[in-house]
Amino acid sequence: MQREQILELREGALASLGLLVGIVPWGIVAGVAMVSAGLTEPQAVAMSVLVFAGTAQLAVLPLLIAKAPLWVMIATALVVNLRYVIYSGVLAPHFEHLPRRWRALLSYVTVDGVFALFAGRFRPDDGNPHKHWYFLGGSLVMWCAWQLSSGVGIFAGAMIPSEWSLEFASTLALIGVLIPLLFDRAVAWGALAAGGAALLAARLPLNLGLLAAIAVGVAVGLAVARLGPRNGEGRG
Amino acid sequence: MAAESWLVWALIAGMALVAFFTRAVFILPGSHLRLPPTADRVLRYAPAAAIMAIIVPDLALAHGALSISIENPRLVGGLVAFALAAATRSILLTIAGGMLALTLVRYFAG
Repeated sequence: MQREQILELREGALASLGLLVGIVPWGIVAGVAMVSAGLTEPQAVAMSVLVFAGTAQLAVLPLLIAKAPLWVMIATALVVNLRYVIYSGVLAPHFEHLPRRWRALLSYVTVDGVFALFAGRFRPDDGNPHKHWYFLGGSLVMWCAWQLSSGVGIFAGAMIPSEWSLEFASTLALIGVLIPLLFDRAVAWGALAAGGAALLAARLPLNLGLLAAIAVGVAVGLAVARLGPRNGEGRG
Repeated sequence: MAAESWLVWALIAGMALVAFFTRAVFILPGSHLRLPPTADRVLRYAPAAAIMAIIVPDLALAHGALSISIENPRLVGGLVAFALAAATRSILLTIAGGMLALTLVRYFAG
């Protein structure tokens, strides 16, 4: 490694230390929630390492408990992860000169916080040839913090009696994730419509109800964005 | 409550593929494709819609039937969590308050 690469790696790692206050409790909650939902300890560890996407992990747990079909749970994980498609589009020009192995690694480690730090620091036309080391440094800190805090949650969760209903923590954590998203008017109306539709469609088999509710939510969000005054649009 | 082992492993494998694919979709091909604005919006509205569509039935349904009552522990816990999340933005306070409300309602209504 060259000196400049080490400097960027360290810079990214230091910048992401500020994100730890968010990711550590989040990892612990995810760990406890996975075990409370009935995953064995090896399954929960495998999910943390292989999936490495907290919101998707928490979103499938209430569905797993409700015995939703496998394809619905995977489709839900896909929908919840769609924000990464946006990140991927923003990051692609920064990384296009890198070898495929690098691009695969950086894809796997992408998380919200480091994406925001990176996108705030480097414009797409920034010619810094070592900027991917900054991204890697931040991502490695987040990856380690996530795996360690999930591990703590997994082994703590295994000791907590099931009468405490800690599986409810995944739903509560989802509420915490949802609230900041609702400050965009169209997103908020779309989400409200999806919640209402999910109740109305509860008589349908769960597989259809959830996906129909998402479709209703997206349609209402698009309609609100088209009809309403344009506040909240054009950011992000 | 524990789901069958093969189902959970298949879920983990499927989610791992989905999580990698959504992150790699533009990075791995090294493409210069830009998302059209409508696609960009759909990608922003869908996750919030999905999360709300998971939360609401989990709070408001009890054994498959609508249960809008102060004696429904999950509904009360969820509403407390919504209020705490909006007021504090703290995941820990949100979860702690929601769990406390759930426990109190169970204790007094049960």
